[in-house]
Amino acid sequence: MDFEDLIGNTLRIGVIISTVFIILGSVMLFVVGHSNGYTLSQISSPKTVVNTSEFPPIQVAKGVEELQPIDLIFLGLMLLIAIQVVRVVLGIAQFASERNKLYTIITAIVFFNLMFAIFILPLLIGK
Amino acid sequence: MLPTIEFFILIILLSALSGILGALTGLGGATILVPIYTLYLGIPIVYASGASLISTIATSSGTASAYIKDRITNLKIGTGLLTATTTGSIIGSLTVAFIYSHHLQYIIYIVFGAVLLSQVYVQLQRSKFELPRGVKPDWTTRVFQLYGKYYDMVLDREVEYIGVKWWLGEIIMFFAGYISGLLGIGSGALKVLAMDWAMNLPIKVSTTTSNFMIGVTAATGSSIYWSFGYIQPFLAAGTAIGVLIGAFIGTKILVRVRNKTIRYVFTLILAFLGIQMILRGLGYGF
Repeated sequence: MDFEDLIGNTLRIGVIISTVFIILGSVMLFVVGHSNGYTLSQISSPKTVVNTSEFPPIQVAKGVEELQPIDLIFLGLMLLIAIQVVRVVLGIAQFASERNKLYTIITAIVFFNLMFAIFILPLLIGK
Repeated sequence: MLPTIEFFILIILLSALSGILGALTGLGGATILVPIYTLYLGIPIVYASGASLISTIATSSGTASAYIKDRITNLKIGTGLLTATTTGSIIGSLTVAFIYSHHLQYIIYIVFGAVLLSQVYVQLQRSKFELPRGVKPDWTTRVFQLYGKYYDMVLDREVEYIGVKWWLGEIIMFFAGYISGLLGIGSGALKVLAMDWAMNLPIKVSTTTSNFMIGVTAATGSSIYWSFGYIQPFLAAGTAIGVLIGAFIGTKILVRVRNKTIRYVFTLILAFLGIQMILRGLGYGF
């Protein structure tokens, strides 16, 4: 199996797993009728106050253990972002194994931009 | 307002429909989804963009795995241009955060309308040729290793190609990323423009590579949207499920349908929604 197959499979399996979490969370939300202290109608209202600002990754991890529907949905969505990170990391590995210095550096820059958006920026804006 | 479950199903249906149209026309479905959400369902544009942007990752990853199998995506060209799109996306997302926190939403409506109308133009002017004209390699072709080959099923032969004007591609890609972060769409049309028109790549290479790039670019923007709280679980869940279903059906029927009518209908929808978004931005009804 080469890198391209590996990337292709990572994408496919990643999307399947994340979709499973999103569907599971949605179904549970309707069955249970509430999540994280909010009622279903509060959560589903178009102008709801329930959004990602109160759900940083650590919070989601805790909520998933308690099987909170919203946290399951958010885990699925976070996985979508995580797959892209994995994909870029695999790209670095691929270019490094081909001893292509220029593209190893270029891919590392893309990786830095992703890390900046995911981890550094939230710290800078104090969220 | 609709009862909750009906509302959820409506979200899934609308996203699936735009996912199908997106796959059939080669434009991301999100482009028409955000206007439909805001104009017809009364969803705040910030949540509409958030749900749309994160769902774009799902469609990109879902279809990209199929393209990788065909070995058409050019990883070097895609990754090189990602430096520009991810940077653009960070700045675009921060711009939109500034706009929302100062209640200047009307700007987003107008820009969105303008982007929709520009895509009407792109749809009408779509390149009629399968392969680009021959060009001489320039210095960027050599330095950035902009060449590749793929097997073309329609032409039944191996196609070798080279890319030129990497710098121009980078500039256009920065704007593609910026628009993606600003409006919460994949902005695939701009990405194809950069590779197709500026870098002279074959249309198949530019569409598949653009699709690969959309995922990473949208992941960058979505992360910032996440910390600002632009992603609403209910809407994002329904949209992600819907566009995935839509993209799946779309790619299945893509092989059979090569219908011009679909493109014209889609172009009409784009024009109609584009005008409405601009009118809303200017404060007229809707």
